[in-house]
Amino acid sequence: MAELVIGIDLGTTNSVVASVHGGSPTVIPNRSGYRLTPSVVALARNGKRLVGALARRQAVTNAERTVVAVKRLMGRRFSSKSLQESLSRLPYTVVAGERDDPRIVLGEQHLSPAEVSAMILTELRLDAEAFFGEPVTKAVITVPAYFNDGQRAATKDAGRIAGLDVIRIINEPTAASLAYGFGKTALEKQIAIFDLGGGTFDFTVLHMFKGVFEVEATGGDTLLGGEDFDARIIDWLAEPFKEKHGIDLRTDKMALQRLRDASEKAKCELSLLKQVEINLPFISATPKSGALHLQSTLTRDQLEKLTGDLIERCLGVCAQVMADAKVQAPQLGDILLVGGQTRMPKIQDAVKTLFAREPSKGVNPDEAVALGAAIQGSMLLHEESDMLLLDVTPHSLGITIAGGFFQKIISKNTTVPTSAHHVFTTVKDDQVSAKITVVQGEDEVAAKNELLGEFMLTGLRKAPRGAVDIDVIFDISADGIVSVSAIDVQTGVRQSITVTASSGLTEDEIKSAAKSNEDWMLGQKEDPDFQDRKAKAEELFREFEALWPRLTRAAQNGLGQEPLQRAQAALSVARLQVAQKESEGLAGSIDRLERMLGALKGAVERGLGQEGR
Amino acid sequence: MSAAARSAGGGIDLPADIQRELRDLESRGDALSYYRLLGLTADVDSPSIRRAYLEQSKRFHPDAWYRRDLGEFGPLLTKWFQRMAAAYEVLSDEETRSAYDREHLSELSETDRLAVEQRALSRAEQDRREVERRARLLRTKGFARVGAARSLYEQSLTFALNGERMHAIGALKAARELDPNRKEISARLVELEREQAKARAASALLSGREREVQQNWAGAQSAYVNAFQLDARNASAALGAARSASAAGDAQTAATWAARAVEIQPDDIGSRLLLAKLLAAQALKTRARAELKIILDKVPDHKEARALLKGL
Repeated sequence: MAELVIGIDLGTTNSVVASVHGGSPTVIPNRSGYRLTPSVVALARNGKRLVGALARRQAVTNAERTVVAVKRLMGRRFSSKSLQESLSRLPYTVVAGERDDPRIVLGEQHLSPAEVSAMILTELRLDAEAFFGEPVTKAVITVPAYFNDGQRAATKDAGRIAGLDVIRIINEPTAASLAYGFGKTALEKQIAIFDLGGGTFDFTVLHMFKGVFEVEATGGDTLLGGEDFDARIIDWLAEPFKEKHGIDLRTDKMALQRLRDASEKAKCELSLLKQVEINLPFISATPKSGALHLQSTLTRDQLEKLTGDLIERCLGVCAQVMADAKVQAPQLGDILLVGGQTRMPKIQDAVKTLFAREPSKGVNPDEAVALGAAIQGSMLLHEESDMLLLDVTPHSLGITIAGGFFQKIISKNTTVPTSAHHVFTTVKDDQVSAKITVVQGEDEVAAKNELLGEFMLTGLRKAPRGAVDIDVIFDISADGIVSVSAIDVQTGVRQSITVTASSGLTEDEIKSAAKSNEDWMLGQKEDPDFQDRKAKAEELFREFEALWPRLTRAAQNGLGQEPLQRAQAALSVARLQVAQKESEGLAGSIDRLERMLGALKGAVERGLGQEGR
Repeated sequence: MSAAARSAGGGIDLPADIQRELRDLESRGDALSYYRLLGLTADVDSPSIRRAYLEQSKRFHPDAWYRRDLGEFGPLLTKWFQRMAAAYEVLSDEETRSAYDREHLSELSETDRLAVEQRALSRAEQDRREVERRARLLRTKGFARVGAARSLYEQSLTFALNGERMHAIGALKAARELDPNRKEISARLVELEREQAKARAASALLSGREREVQQNWAGAQSAYVNAFQLDARNASAALGAARSASAAGDAQTAATWAARAVEIQPDDIGSRLLLAKLLAAQALKTRARAELKIILDKVPDHKEARALLKGL
């Protein structure tokens, strides 16, 4: 059987896991039976880690210890403007770490965003393992196309902490296009993907030809998503309340969480209804007037007015990307809408007007990304696949040169993997080191772009100035992750490079986080009954083993292979449950195995005959 | 096992034909034109270039052989895929492709040279027909003019899609004449013309660099000047022109160009230092001193500038 690989859409609000199963991509339901898992992590009052719907459900009463929208913090510097803006809307506490990296305060712990994301990934991994009854270690994880190097690296780190071998990081809109194009390899078509998720917006133009998916241009905004639409409603509710009662509900963490839930609910309902009631009793209180309630009616028109500029921002990005791809709106063969926020009628209208056509109904906006990630995983690992993805780097990569200018080394929208060289010459006699500042972005002034890191070229050969040329090689992998290496041109000696400014986790930090996550996974499953069940299961394994030679004979004498295969499958599920200490699941397996054993014994006794049930 | 035995195919999980092609590319790939690299002749149209590149990608993109044991072929696959992608990047745009054809005409094989000339001829013929058709449409009278403008506009979109920017611009100009009030026509025209100037400037800059490396100073200078005329905010073009003029011994012209580079990028120390040196070479001491002082204001411990200032 082909190696298992899962695709994970690690969203700002919700996450989805999928796999290519029996030749077709399928969403894997979580252990509660739902296809979407909220991207929420909480530390319950009893100290237990909660993830998904459980965490979300208790968010109102435990707002300070509930982490939402962690994706907005991934790979960002604590001091960056974008991070500070996000923080003002989050109910939990974030402090600065040693390297200007954000750390989330959760009880006693100060966790990196990657560690919190790893908890969500672990949950999805356990869901997939429960679904397949086998360990799952390989995964493709999606990120917004517009994510920069630091954000991608942080996502990859999160995967490693969750014990996953992240075989590829791919872009969400590209993943959606794979889901759209799966099984349509004969098609040649130019399509666009309009992806407005919970936290980010991406627009991508892509060309499909005989199973090759060539991304032509991509662009976006990592701080524009459904949550910004919610924020507009929150402000619309909170402002008049503040005027009337002098209380800003947004500074009360519990009230803010209730406002957030109510706003999101109202927004979703307004996709179907023309107006909704928002009712939040006992939202606050004053000594003078006692309990205060909030009651309001929001109409669809009102919501459209509140969020009109956000939609305009999306359309601006679309225009830029189409110019980069040298394409005009009417030429596109199909428009895919991805991300829950694209359900808003006003957005569908805006897209329809801009492209002069109905958007495609071919993909499910919530699930397409995870399905595409699963397809990419199967494309990479399984030989029978006839599809290939040619993706591009969303940002130009370059270095800071004299005067603080940005010198471009790799242009945006270059197909990855790619590499480029840049030769540095020493400017002083006997110069032994040089600093290279690597940035990503489009502005001519380096400081206005995103700083990826500072690298020190050390141990240079002592020589008169200008006599040492160092060839610095910049590589962008198919994951979109940058690496830098350097060679002395005259001597061919590889130069050492040290990263001196990066907000990412160190190798040791990742390893220790991965270890504690694994310990948690094991500890979590220990059940008082587990040892008894394990002993019982092992006894059953031995009995099956003893009976097996007689069973194979019976199979040839008319019993058939099917009951044996079924027993084998049940046995491997039970073995996995023992290994992973899944006590409850194991109890079910024991019942099943006992019944099978009884029936098979009977069949063997009779020489051959009825198969076991 | 020795490297030679392994390269004979033992244990390497890559089809023999791709192994053979990679070895072939390693030995003579550097001499191949962009067309040959993509397995094309020089007379192909734009859609065929794209298809050829995508077909080659299916075989040479490292993902097609993900996590296989490729031995020494692994790095080669990446290297040659990247070369093909770079070739496609140049050939997929009409402007950069014609520039490539002009620059490399002497390196192309006899058949390819003929093909390029053939293509130029047939394009001239196509151009002529286009111009005729537009002239005919321009004679349209009354309300039909709006319809004719629309059909020209739509045609320009198709041209632009196929990378035929010049035709697209021609069609748009005619469309604008027929229907001057349609905003999208003029907007698209401005956009395309800007794109064209930029692409031309980039390709001129590239050929300037190439000639500079070959120490063809006059050629480099004219290419850089050309790039600057197309994109007057391009400091690299001005600086390149200054460098090549200076190398050719024309300090006066070089100084003019260096001054332009400094004007565009006042904070760039390198351009200013070059300007100071060129002024000093012409015995324009006061101006040279002024430039050096500005450098020292910005970088007080700039040794070279200090030494030069002392010498003056």
